[in-house]
Amino acid sequence: MDKIYFDNGSTSWPKAPGVSMAMAELLENGAFNINRGNYEGAYEIEGVVLDTREQLAQLFHARNSRGVVFTPSVTYSLNYFLKGFLRAGDHIVVSGLEHNAVMRPLEQMIRQGVSYDIAPVDRAGNLDVSDLEACINERTKAVLITHASNVCGTVLPIETIGHICKKHNLIFGVDSAQTAGTLDIDVEKCGIDFLAFTGHKGLLGPQGIGGFLISERLDKQMTPLIAGGTGSQSDSLLMPENLPDKYESGTMNLPGIIGLHAALNYLEETGIQKIHRRKMELTEYFLRKVQEIPKVRIVGNPTCENRVAVISLDFQEADNAVAAFELEQRAGIMTRVGLHCAPLAHQSLGTFPRGTVRFAFSAVNTEEEIDRCIDSIYKLRYT
Amino acid sequence: MPDIQHYVLFPNHDNAMRLYRELKKLGVRAAIAPTPRSASKCCGVSLMVEKEDLEKIQDIADQKDIEILKIAEVEKDFNPHRDRYC
Repeated sequence: MDKIYFDNGSTSWPKAPGVSMAMAELLENGAFNINRGNYEGAYEIEGVVLDTREQLAQLFHARNSRGVVFTPSVTYSLNYFLKGFLRAGDHIVVSGLEHNAVMRPLEQMIRQGVSYDIAPVDRAGNLDVSDLEACINERTKAVLITHASNVCGTVLPIETIGHICKKHNLIFGVDSAQTAGTLDIDVEKCGIDFLAFTGHKGLLGPQGIGGFLISERLDKQMTPLIAGGTGSQSDSLLMPENLPDKYESGTMNLPGIIGLHAALNYLEETGIQKIHRRKMELTEYFLRKVQEIPKVRIVGNPTCENRVAVISLDFQEADNAVAAFELEQRAGIMTRVGLHCAPLAHQSLGTFPRGTVRFAFSAVNTEEEIDRCIDSIYKLRYT
Repeated sequence: MPDIQHYVLFPNHDNAMRLYRELKKLGVRAAIAPTPRSASKCCGVSLMVEKEDLEKIQDIADQKDIEILKIAEVEKDFNPHRDRYC
């Protein structure tokens, strides 16, 4: 039985053409260490790393690629922001759709005197920005929100929220885990001070590489969470203040960056709009068909409006984990079931603790695969 | 007269790579090299350049917002014309 991969919300697969080859070539032909090795091979790799920073700056419309920092993942990036910026007594506003990559560090920080408020969303995950603005108080230093829910795919209005942050002189952070490489994100236009991204989802790169884009004003206020060797200013026991060294201690994941570089080349050649369009065609097809099946509830927006290609289903009067297992056993459909590391989002959407079965499409999925999936869901409900 | 080599020093590799790339684009001669220990305590990279290009290089760095720590003059320790296997 052919397998069908609908778990692109966890990680994209297949990766972009050229990713594995680029990584293998590096490892086979000279995985030299940058910022350390003083020879041509290392300098060549440094050049590719710089190219990758410039590609990311261009993708996210940043004026300067110096503010592009690599980390192991979007979770690390969010921790760098929350723990490197917030101080005792500070307050931050988040949305009701946040992932544990935001909520767990925040809960840790309560013990250090940081507080937060949650801007509520409706049962489909949509946010009324006036509710978010009402959460701002005199101690608020920042707003941090996900761009799109990893549970139901609902998109939050980052441009409008950026205007609110500007009005209140707040730092604005965005978690782009489900949207980088999918939706156009303009950090300048949206007034984003901190954009956390991962390389292995919409950017179609390998796991283990992520990063963030940081504004100059935030950089001046943020302390590096990790300290160590950078290959620069090695005579000093203090961390350098220069970007990106300030936040990039230790040997970097060079195979990951090289793989991401190949993936970005592919995205540039293909165009993220084209990829997104295809994913939304499949989403529209799936949503239309699944709505005809009784006792299956779409969690989130029922149409393609205000969403990405991440869809959650709640199998009424059944256990969602069993439904996911049966889909995999009977039809080879790979999904993700449960709480998706986002208990807060599930509480907001009314699916806690039941969880949901999540289907997340890539541009290489097909209508035939969706037909097979819909047929399997239908049989699951009636046989 | 001792043979002098000119080095452009940077606070980090990122600035060095950015300037190197700009110089290459404009056809200005430069080579990436370890920073001579006599020029700085810092063990990063620098660019070996020609004396007559120094002014142009500083202008390019200013235009591109590339941070230069200093320009160092270092006396060459090794005679490049000597046969190393003698």
